[in-house]
Amino acid sequence: MAEPTSSEAGPAAPTVPSIFSILAPYRAWVVWLTIIAIIANVLTLYLPKLVSHGIDAYVTHTSNLPHLIVVFGGFSFGIFLFTYLQSILQTYVSEKVARDMRSDIVNKISHQGYRFIEDRDPSKLLTNVTSDIDAVKMFVSQVVVSLVSSGVIIIGAAIILLTIDWRLALAVLTIIPMIGGTFFVILKQVRTLFLQAREVIDRLNKVINESIMGAALIRVLHSSDVEHKKFSGANTRARNLGISILKLFSFMIPIITFVASMGSLIVVTLGGYYVVNGSMTIGSFAAFMSYIMILIFPILIIGFMSNLIAQATASYGRIYEVLRAPDEKDEGTVRNTLEGKIEVKNVTVMYGEKHALRDVSLTIMPKTRTAIIGPTAAGKTQLLNVMTGLTVPKHGDVEYDGRALETYERASFYPQIGLVFQDSVLFNTTVRENIAFSTTVTDESLQKAIDTAELADFLHTLPQGLDTLVSERGTSLSGGQKQRLMLARALALNPTILFLDDFTARVDAQTEAKILGNISKNYPDLTLVSITQKIAPIESYDQVILIMEGEVLAQGTHQSLMESSPEYVQIYNSQRSTSTYELRT
Amino acid sequence: MNYELNSEQNKAKLSAWGAMRGLWPLLSGERNILIFAAFATLANSGINLLAPLLIAHVVDTYIIAGQYGGVVTFGFILFGLYVLGLFTSYGQTRLMGGVGQRVLFNLRTTIFSKLQELPVAFFNANKAGDLISRINNDTDKLNQFFSQTLVQFVGSIVIMIGAGIFLLAINLKLGLAALAPALALLVFTQIVSPWVKRKNAASLTATGGLSAEIAESLNNFKVVVAFNRRDFFRERFQTANDVNYKTAIGAGIANQTFTPVFGFSSNLAQLVVLAYGLYLITVGQFTLGLMIGYLGYVSNFYNPLRQLAALWSNFQVALAGWDRISAILQMRNDMMILPPVAGTSIETKALLEFKNVAFRYTPEKDVLHNVNIALEAGKTYALVGPTGGGKTTTASLMARLYDPSEGTVYLSGRDIRTYSAEERTKKIGFILQEPILFSGTVRDNILYGNSEYKDYTNEQLQKVIHDAGLESLLVRFDGGLEAPVATSGDALSLGQKQLIAFMRTVLRDPELLILDEATANIDTVTEQLLEDILKKLPAKTTRVIIAHRLNTIENADEIFFVNGGEVTQAGSMDHAVEMLLHGKRAS
Repeated sequence: MAEPTSSEAGPAAPTVPSIFSILAPYRAWVVWLTIIAIIANVLTLYLPKLVSHGIDAYVTHTSNLPHLIVVFGGFSFGIFLFTYLQSILQTYVSEKVARDMRSDIVNKISHQGYRFIEDRDPSKLLTNVTSDIDAVKMFVSQVVVSLVSSGVIIIGAAIILLTIDWRLALAVLTIIPMIGGTFFVILKQVRTLFLQAREVIDRLNKVINESIMGAALIRVLHSSDVEHKKFSGANTRARNLGISILKLFSFMIPIITFVASMGSLIVVTLGGYYVVNGSMTIGSFAAFMSYIMILIFPILIIGFMSNLIAQATASYGRIYEVLRAPDEKDEGTVRNTLEGKIEVKNVTVMYGEKHALRDVSLTIMPKTRTAIIGPTAAGKTQLLNVMTGLTVPKHGDVEYDGRALETYERASFYPQIGLVFQDSVLFNTTVRENIAFSTTVTDESLQKAIDTAELADFLHTLPQGLDTLVSERGTSLSGGQKQRLMLARALALNPTILFLDDFTARVDAQTEAKILGNISKNYPDLTLVSITQKIAPIESYDQVILIMEGEVLAQGTHQSLMESSPEYVQIYNSQRSTSTYELRT
Repeated sequence: MNYELNSEQNKAKLSAWGAMRGLWPLLSGERNILIFAAFATLANSGINLLAPLLIAHVVDTYIIAGQYGGVVTFGFILFGLYVLGLFTSYGQTRLMGGVGQRVLFNLRTTIFSKLQELPVAFFNANKAGDLISRINNDTDKLNQFFSQTLVQFVGSIVIMIGAGIFLLAINLKLGLAALAPALALLVFTQIVSPWVKRKNAASLTATGGLSAEIAESLNNFKVVVAFNRRDFFRERFQTANDVNYKTAIGAGIANQTFTPVFGFSSNLAQLVVLAYGLYLITVGQFTLGLMIGYLGYVSNFYNPLRQLAALWSNFQVALAGWDRISAILQMRNDMMILPPVAGTSIETKALLEFKNVAFRYTPEKDVLHNVNIALEAGKTYALVGPTGGGKTTTASLMARLYDPSEGTVYLSGRDIRTYSAEERTKKIGFILQEPILFSGTVRDNILYGNSEYKDYTNEQLQKVIHDAGLESLLVRFDGGLEAPVATSGDALSLGQKQLIAFMRTVLRDPELLILDEATANIDTVTEQLLEDILKKLPAKTTRVIIAHRLNTIENADEIFFVNGGEVTQAGSMDHAVEMLLHGKRAS
């Protein structure tokens, strides 16, 4: 596992700012939302009053029915208008926050180096941009309005009750702290369960994802039982946790309803007593009954919101961790055209405690051909990553034409080097866009790259030629076709330096020979750095560098290594029996 | 079968009832609990409706009459009723919630089993990011519905129906008038729901696209950096983000339509009762006392209805998610195990034989046509040929990753389609071109899917590895069996990953071992070790090797040249090289 060393992990995480701080840039929207929510709720609170006025007016024979209908209808329509306006605004603001935050995360990621992505794990970053954002969105759309509405209703209803009869109001209002207390106790337990549930769901998703990515292997090994076992373990845990959460809720809901019912009971018994002894009117009694119903719902809402706030805070914490990561340094200003000289000076790369590269030094001269050879896991790809700035070494420097790699401006440096990776990386877009991936590619250089990579014949067989869509992971292409697309992508840049990582592994010998011939014909001034397994094609190279266990063991021409390096001779001998065939190609 | 989930013919479009029927099998075994839950729900709703009636009675007969004794008596009765409600409410939430959790559990299991059942072609036809979004995100929408909404849903409906009956029973004319806005709502909901569901479906599709987009870019980040196309990543994401934003707002507004409209009609109903009620009182058909109670029942009817409105949009979201999941569940594996009837066997000495085999991924283009080859037990075969010529396809047919479009593949003389997956995979070991590892240790990975050695201690396993001659490969990992393996990242090189895949397959001791460029990124010295290991395999083991490096195949007993959809015997190594040099290019 690629663990970052402790020094790279950065200083201790500072406290995450409150979730409410994300609303700051949207202050104007939130203010409008609050105002509209207050209006809608005040109108709602006033409605029962209208009804009672209507009845009173009827009793006192001052009734004006058409007037009542107009006023009541007006209020109803007002409520409708403002709640609808509120929900539209709510949706709009929350989606806006979500969209902007997603963009921020992606912007941040896009300014990071390759190592950042590897260390963070792409699947976790994906969760940040999807589920975590969803939790934050939920906070914005639900919490803000609900807190405002509930606050208005609770305070409004409480004031109305107190003005009607303060003794009974005080007695009835005691249920608020009781409900609050129940919520506090139970939700505290629920919250830890929620966190566990999140983890179980993550695990569940991981199992599902692996079973999708490894579908071919599972079918070849008939290991669906193993996958089933992993899956049902996680699924069972998810169900049990779900049921534990449910148990708490099925305690909480009845208790809260019961406490709320006690409120009605207080009104009936104590209020009834006041009415009987004449210190309260029957009208006030009725008002108490209806307002107590209005009062309970917002209390429940606030309780549930506290939960959403907790979830959103946890998610925002994870998002914040990505957002606060320092950008990869891009302070380079040098825009020189590269000559092609590369110097690697005392470079060391660590993976955790393990040395991937140890004190590696080498020099590559312009317009030469260099081969890097060595056993599996020797550090060849690591060396390539360091040379191209994908990995920043722990110690040591990489210099191009005598200047440190960091001093070059990225936008001018990368178009001058062509990189062909070992694994095929294709995007789900047209063949043309996959090859002309950089913006600097012209039609002419595109055609030259296609011809050099021997892709022209293949492209003719495609239904839409260059405009054919490449499916994800390039499953519709053969291994060799993918590799040649990757080569064409690198060559289309007209690079000064071309880096090949085990390019020939998946291309047949005949095509390989043709392609290498094409390269030296079409790109005569190229500096070539090639990681390879095969010695025969590199015997004429200007330099061969032998790497083992992260160290440079020998460097020189093929001839000199054959005389000085027993390890090289061993590799040579392992291939010699078939070299007659290789040589003929 | 067309396995592409996003194609028009595979887009499931279910009505609410169709969806319910689809979910019904998941409820099997829950019938008794559902009956109890229904009782608890009925009892609880009854209590909820009875309490206001009792209070009205107390007010009418005792409080207004000034008899406090009766108030106290009924206070105790009410208290008893509320205590009873404590239990029924608990029962309702617990039982219904339990059903929801178990249905969700069954649903996940069903989807997962379906995924395991479907062939490789299904996974090639769909984007991994989109599949993952369907299974994680869309099931989560159903999860929310089952764990949070369902209980309230059922409870609300029962209370609403009860209140509706009270309204009609007390005064039919006024009741009908009071319920008229609800009828309008029903029509409104019927008309609007398909639109809401469509908006939600569009939004979920956009979310799937967004997740696929990010997954792709993050996995390809190396190229994004090296080609300095961070802008490409940002732009493509921004497009997906904007689409997602627009559809999400559309869905959000659609979902939020219900609440204000339901609130409005609830208020209208109050107005109707107030105006029509006052009129009825004037003509002497109604009393003021009844009217106050009546207003209460109107809110008893419309409050749960309003709650239903909020839940209804949840329900629509869940339905949209269910559609996307149904599309997966509707997929049928077209690679069935055939019954071993007469005529499916042939007389042959060959371990594996292709008879007139043709194969095409799409109807338009043959990848292989009329292939006839026979592989004898214990021999080594090599497949050579230019890239794109059909080598991997041939190997995939041998392992039945696909079925031939025409012709038959025979394994030990029996149609390969008559073997159970277990029998077949025991006989055939296939090392894939791209090594697939699971996060864990080297041990976890080499024993993956291996039932024989899975409970061995590390010492016992060391011995097995030693006997198989794999020891020299294991030492390439710091920490040996317990060396950690991460699925992403460059901590393990491609070559090391291939070594693990190699050990994994060899330890299973298959009769037919297929290596599809399985050692392409391994250095030649290590490769010699692998060759020694292959040589030491039991005499009966048949090897099929696909490789570009000719030294890997020089010891083959027979070489097949695969190109342009044909598989021909190359005879000698020299002949094979000749064909490679001068043979037709793949076209």
